Amino acid sequence: MLDLGVIVANFKFLVVQGLFGLGGFAGGTLRLAIPAIVLGFVLGIFIGLARLARSRFVSLPATLYVEFFRGVPLVMVIFWIWFIIPQLLRLPIPEYGVALTAFVIFEAAYFGEIIRAGIQSVPRGQVEAATAVGLTSAQTMRFVVLPQAIRNMVPALVTQMIVLFKDTSLASIIGYVDLTKAAQIVNNREIKPFELYLFIAVVYFVFTYSMSLFARRFERRLAS
Amino acid sequence: MRRMLSVVVALAVTLALAAPVGAQPDTTAKIKETGVLTIGTRTGSPPFAYINKDNQWVGFSIDLVEQLVKPAVEKEVGRTIKIEKKESTPPTRIPLLSSNAVDLIAGTMTDTPQRREVVDFSLTFFYTGAQFLVKKGSPIKGVNDIAGKRIASQQGSTNAKIIREKYPQAQLREFPDQPAAFQALIQGQVDAYTNDGIQLAGLKAKSPNPGDWEVVGDFYSEEPYGMAMRKGDVKFKAAVDAGLRNGFESGKYFEIYDKWFGAKGELPYPMTPTVKAYLLKHSGK
Amino acid sequence: MSYQFKWSVLWSGQSGGWLLQGVATTLAISGLAWILAVGLGILAGAARTVPWRPLRLAGTFYVEFFRNVPLLVWMFFWYFGVPPLLPRGVQDWLFNHSAEFWAGMFALGVYHGARMSEVIRSGINSIPRTQFEASVAMGLTTFQAYRLIIVPIALRLIVPPATNESLNLLKNSSVALTISVAELTFQTRQVETYTAKAIEALTAGTLIYLVLCVSIAWIMARVERRFAIPGLIARGG
Repeated sequence: MLDLGVIVANFKFLVVQGLFGLGGFAGGTLRLAIPAIVLGFVLGIFIGLARLARSRFVSLPATLYVEFFRGVPLVMVIFWIWFIIPQLLRLPIPEYGVALTAFVIFEAAYFGEIIRAGIQSVPRGQVEAATAVGLTSAQTMRFVVLPQAIRNMVPALVTQMIVLFKDTSLASIIGYVDLTKAAQIVNNREIKPFELYLFIAVVYFVFTYSMSLFARRFERRLAS
Repeated sequence: MRRMLSVVVALAVTLALAAPVGAQPDTTAKIKETGVLTIGTRTGSPPFAYINKDNQWVGFSIDLVEQLVKPAVEKEVGRTIKIEKKESTPPTRIPLLSSNAVDLIAGTMTDTPQRREVVDFSLTFFYTGAQFLVKKGSPIKGVNDIAGKRIASQQGSTNAKIIREKYPQAQLREFPDQPAAFQALIQGQVDAYTNDGIQLAGLKAKSPNPGDWEVVGDFYSEEPYGMAMRKGDVKFKAAVDAGLRNGFESGKYFEIYDKWFGAKGELPYPMTPTVKAYLLKHSGK
Repeated sequence: MSYQFKWSVLWSGQSGGWLLQGVATTLAISGLAWILAVGLGILAGAARTVPWRPLRLAGTFYVEFFRNVPLLVWMFFWYFGVPPLLPRGVQDWLFNHSAEFWAGMFALGVYHGARMSEVIRSGINSIPRTQFEASVAMGLTTFQAYRLIIVPIALRLIVPPATNESLNLLKNSSVALTISVAELTFQTRQVETYTAKAIEALTAGTLIYLVLCVSIAWIMARVERRFAIPGLIARGG
């Protein structure tokens, strides 16, 4: 029953355009996901650290940032950046810019939470001990807290990266030709939804599952 | 929670204050600077604008821009320009225009008095009316048979609005885009899909089994297509209209029409004398 | 282009009614999907800790496959891919009774069930093995040990992460707009297309989501405090 001909005939479009973003359209799942993960993580570090800052002028905005973005759907954030921000800045933003900005801003809130929790998971006594042996607070962060915190948060971080990778499919809503949009475009003329959506489901699965296998292995290595 | 809300209110107020004021839009100046005219168009509305078997973005509306509007805008700004295409759908096209993401909507947008309050329209470049696409042999033969039936439409389209307001007995389903609505029809999720007749004919012709479908009913609305642009953008509108008017006068428009709708075109749809007279009359000839 | 604010579009005409309908639909689809997700999550989460391999494998397959593919793809899959495979009678019934709602609900519930089960699994895993052994030693069967000891304790342990996941579910219900479910984001867009007032419409939608999420978080914090097992969960400030 499965008609794989439609996949074969459009394989190049689905993979080269949809997955890698090389082709006539602005698009590409990997081209969006990889920078979004890296930049979202970097911004997340700042937000996570800011939430733990002693000064309320730093920690309060960071907390509000996190609570705000965790309280609204990503789709809404995408619409804001697509329709409203260009109007306020009076500057057109290309689809790629819209999608990347939305994902980085949105996911940084989640990354920030993971990083905060990771740092807080390091027992307080360790910090006190480090201070007692004469380390400065920067040194304590660098040599005592962060190495342990990062180990604790790797599983959660990888899970969040998987979430982000899947969320990039929402860029198709704004006409960004990623894997999902490419499948939609082909489906619009071939009308083979079952085959096409199953195919891209498998492609997404290959990427996300390898990421989660990595996380599992890491978890196990830490446990042993 | 209270803290949360106060911040949101503060944010909304800041945004309200930050909104730019005054200044008429001047798209020609922008195009002169960047050398790019960005159009918003469709990906699944054959033969006006769609992605073909070779995954290229083509169509009648796109040809009109490339061959008629582009030269006129080039003349106005005094340099060669490039056309860039972005996808726009009925629910997104006006926000995309006002957010400056696109400069011109060239797809299948109907020129209506209500829309004229927010955007400007070019000369009419096509004239059609709303009908229904149904499975062959369906009991639906026109707008009077839709009571209690599931009718698909595109969110934000003129047809959806008419059905919602004048035929509330129909069960209206609104989809974000035409392909999704057509897909729902193919699967029997809905009994009919309503849109402008010419687009339905285009969908039918490009579908895997054109014989299974028929376009039924008299036009229950008038749908003159225009290209939309930001309101009050006088110079740009003049250039776009000049391009289209030149097309009508030189006959170039009718050549493009023939390429897509002629006997050997993508979708044979001969222009009736009435429509031709209408187009010429509205082009100021 | 100058932007003229006109907040009154939100309560004049049909806008207010649309937004309210949107909230109702969002709550309905999220509520039903939540029940499905929790049910599936408990089943799969428990299945994966049971000492019987085929059941563990089935649980693992469900969880890994469904949570590793984007929700948007699942929406299309359940709405466009599945109905043609159903018997004609079922199809007709569905198409007459808001198929898009049920497909969206299923997509949301099954997807989040997989994620929920991960939350549940880590809850169960965090219960010391000895508890299980002790219950068996006292003469409970495996099933009884799960039903009476492990699951009730795990349920309490997982309230905080499960709350997060529930809020994700509520927010993700917005993806259903792609298959024409008239939920809150859809209605926000509807207001926008009818009034051409994007900022006002999006602000209203965003605020409503925030209020929903913050209230749920608040209620769940109450629940968490009410059911906490003394001495078992170290609660942060």
